[in-house]
Amino acid sequence: MLRVENISHTFKSGGEMTPVLHNINFEVQQGEMVALLGSSGSGKSTMLNLMAGLMKPTEGHIFIADQDIVKMGENKLAEFRRKNIGFIFQAYELISSLTVRENVELPLVFQSVSPSVRKQKSLALLEGVGILDKAELFPSQLSGGQQQRVSIARSLITEPSVIFADEPTGNLDTKTEEEIINILLNLNKKMKTTFIVVTHELEVAEQMQRIFTLRDGFMITEKHGVAEVGPEEGGQQ
Amino acid sequence: MRISDVSRLAWGQIKRRKVVTGLCMLGISIGCAAIVVALSLGDSAQSYANNEVNAQFKMDEITVTPNEGVSQGGGEGATKTGANSNVGKLTDQKLDIIKNFKHVIAAAPFQDMGYVQMETVDNKVGDLNIIATDLSLLTKYDFSFQQGAPSEQAGSVVLNYGATIGLLDTATRDGLIEKLTADPYNAEVSQQYQELTSLPSEMYQQRVQFRYVNYDPSSSKNSYLSSPLQVAGVLKVMKGVDPQMAMYDKKAYISRETFAKLSEEFNLNKNSSETVTYNSAIIKVDKQENLLQIEALIKKLTLNTSTNLYQLESLNSTFAMIKRVALGVGVFILIIASISIIVAMTMSTHQRRRQIGIMKVLGANMSQIRIMFIMESALLGLLGGMLGIGFSYLIVTGINKLVGSAAGGGMGTGQSLVISIPLSTIPVGIIFAIMTGVISGIYPAISASRTNALTAIRRD
Repeated sequence: MLRVENISHTFKSGGEMTPVLHNINFEVQQGEMVALLGSSGSGKSTMLNLMAGLMKPTEGHIFIADQDIVKMGENKLAEFRRKNIGFIFQAYELISSLTVRENVELPLVFQSVSPSVRKQKSLALLEGVGILDKAELFPSQLSGGQQQRVSIARSLITEPSVIFADEPTGNLDTKTEEEIINILLNLNKKMKTTFIVVTHELEVAEQMQRIFTLRDGFMITEKHGVAEVGPEEGGQQ
Repeated sequence: MRISDVSRLAWGQIKRRKVVTGLCMLGISIGCAAIVVALSLGDSAQSYANNEVNAQFKMDEITVTPNEGVSQGGGEGATKTGANSNVGKLTDQKLDIIKNFKHVIAAAPFQDMGYVQMETVDNKVGDLNIIATDLSLLTKYDFSFQQGAPSEQAGSVVLNYGATIGLLDTATRDGLIEKLTADPYNAEVSQQYQELTSLPSEMYQQRVQFRYVNYDPSSSKNSYLSSPLQVAGVLKVMKGVDPQMAMYDKKAYISRETFAKLSEEFNLNKNSSETVTYNSAIIKVDKQENLLQIEALIKKLTLNTSTNLYQLESLNSTFAMIKRVALGVGVFILIIASISIIVAMTMSTHQRRRQIGIMKVLGANMSQIRIMFIMESALLGLLGGMLGIGFSYLIVTGINKLVGSAAGGGMGTGQSLVISIPLSTIPVGIIFAIMTGVISGIYPAISASRTNALTAIRRD
């Protein structure tokens, strides 16, 4: 479903070359839920941005649904992202001028989906994440955990092949963190959506099916987490 | 992306940023109001001037005179009556042809017989101009009767309003003129003369005589008195004409038969011919728009024509220039206003970089971001335009009050200039405002669409 081949990346800063990723290879199967674990500066966020097509790697290829996103132009990539990729951000990143329901519907707005279909889908997802009663409120009227649920619902609305979650529990307390992780696990189980969760917390990573650990730009380990393991095939180190 | 969604997103942003929205709207509204007021002022002034011109100059009439520059046929038969000798002359035959032209309401001779002195039975006198015409057609030329009716009876005369004013007995008139000649600056005499020459006389059904004075020294007799004539009607002051001005226009209208009789009495028929010719005729046309077409046809009959259209053309060109200048001022203000939108929208782009980044990550492409920003600025333009229309009504009301109190009344028609906003100006103002918004939004929209999603969403 997602294949990372020989990815290396170097940042140029003031004429100085800083390598951040070194020859990364791994593969994630459809319906898998994996963690990309690493401390600050390990290169995990860069890896996420590369997989999401938000930046181009210095070397290597990334295939999602058998399409090499490295070769895509900006508009094609936008279209590809719209249809195949979902995002969950650490700081939720909801649009404050839109209601909860409108935020969830936003990715479908860019696909010109009719308002009635959008409404039906968004309400179903909000019910799924347990905040249907907050649909017509604005993000500022919600708690952090509730906002993250909105963000999760938004990431699912386009029924993407893969959802990238960047530190999804980074801004939450322990109790809410557990709730959010449970929601993700349940959704993965129920909808068979592939999740790639970037985190620096081992406790979070351990709840995923597989864990890829990055340190100083190198992938150092790949191991199974505590979650129910899906497909047999794992990624390569 | 659906238009309704783009509009909703743009409207959400406009509602959120009230201060920026307010400032942008204010800028655009001033420009829009300037354009609407400029156009309305131009239109109202032009319409006012047109009314004044129409009131003072008849715009649906053509004055026809003989074409004297045309050869009278040449050779020996030049002075004789015949087909060739009538080329260029204004004859009954030509008037009959003109009457049959489409759009012609009336075609009658208005033969100017010159000035005579009118003498009443009670020895009052007054100078007036005798015009021979078809009396039954007078009403077709916008004349209306205050007393009496048109009469084709021989010896009938119709006086206009001016001809009934200021009739004095000879002794009084000569005495006053003598005093004024001796002491032109005598205010008392001057006022007395003014008052007496403004007094109306009851002339309806009075008997009058015309005295014609021939100033030709070779003539054996120089003063001729007509046989008595009956005043069959008195005309009203023509609509739109100031009575103070009308009293100086003194005319007596007589029938063509009476004209022939007077010509004989005044010994004016020296070169009588078989064909009656006129020195002037007036053609009344149904609409002003048809004037040129009829004029061209009349010219084909080798006759001279003149209309008052040139008055209108001259006014139109003056007002067109004023309108262009005013419009230019409005557009200039809008350009200045557009700078405020560019600044506000560019600032907004920077403030909303993160939001733009999120939208891009969620799948918005560059053109969708551009459309959102342009819609936002177009909405700002629309709101500014609507506010501008409101402002323009306030400004126009203010100007009307100022003009009304300053002028206190109009010129000829008695109406002062009232500026009104034509309905057609409102969409023009709104379109200008929206276009200003759209054009001003292009740069910020391009700038927003080029926002790098990753840089925008990255948190320090």
